[in-house]
Amino acid sequence: MADSLNPIVMEEVTDLEEMAQARAQDERFERNFRWFQEHATEIFTRYRGKCIYIAGEELFVGDTPEEVIAQAKAAHPEDNGGFVHCIPKDKVAHIYAHRRRMGAV
Amino acid sequence: MRIDGEWALFDDGVIRPIVFGEISAADGSWVKCPFLVDTGADRTVLTAAALGQLGLRPITSDDGISGLGGRAESVVVETQIRLSRENSSKVVFRGQYAAVTEVASLDTCVLGRDVTGLFAVMVDQARSVVCMLSQRHHYTIQVD
Repeated sequence: MADSLNPIVMEEVTDLEEMAQARAQDERFERNFRWFQEHATEIFTRYRGKCIYIAGEELFVGDTPEEVIAQAKAAHPEDNGGFVHCIPKDKVAHIYAHRRRMGAV
Repeated sequence: MRIDGEWALFDDGVIRPIVFGEISAADGSWVKCPFLVDTGADRTVLTAAALGQLGLRPITSDDGISGLGGRAESVVVETQIRLSRENSSKVVFRGQYAAVTEVASLDTCVLGRDVTGLFAVMVDQARSVVCMLSQRHHYTIQVD
């Protein structure tokens, strides 16, 4: 099974400096994500098939992830709470699964 | 341990369960990323966009990721995924994760059972609950 072949190690973060930096990043991300969700319907409609990046509560649009990341980083170099998302060209249902190996019986 | 998520709007107008996390990049920074909580996914899969942003070197090509849309090309990267706990502290999941290599293959990073299997996962749209429980946190089913 995939679970036993690829064990994931779970560890709690105890470094206070790391946690403080993470919380600051979380706050920036939360602002960006809230802005995105408030404008999501319009963004999904206008930019289907495009890649977007939200940083500084501002939308950046391009054809590739690299393009929008570069735009956003140039405009908001201080915002490490941005995120990239590529909007599917078509509205389709997505179902994901890992290909399984089958042994002989 | 309790990790909370929320229901978020996707491009097709459907509300789906997500948790917010970060992925460790090659330069030591953390890249923010919403993860779809997919209780049926065998494993966690990163998008091609996330993979490019992380700058991680693949350690191997993968067996492939398949779904109804067919097989997607993918690689395996070694990294850490970091999620927020109920007490604002963080928990890290270190291991090898699959990542698709084509943008069109996957639009949102998926949190699969390699991670969610460590928790009891609640995705209750009617009550707007997305929650992963382990250790001292647990759930109770009640009948009114």
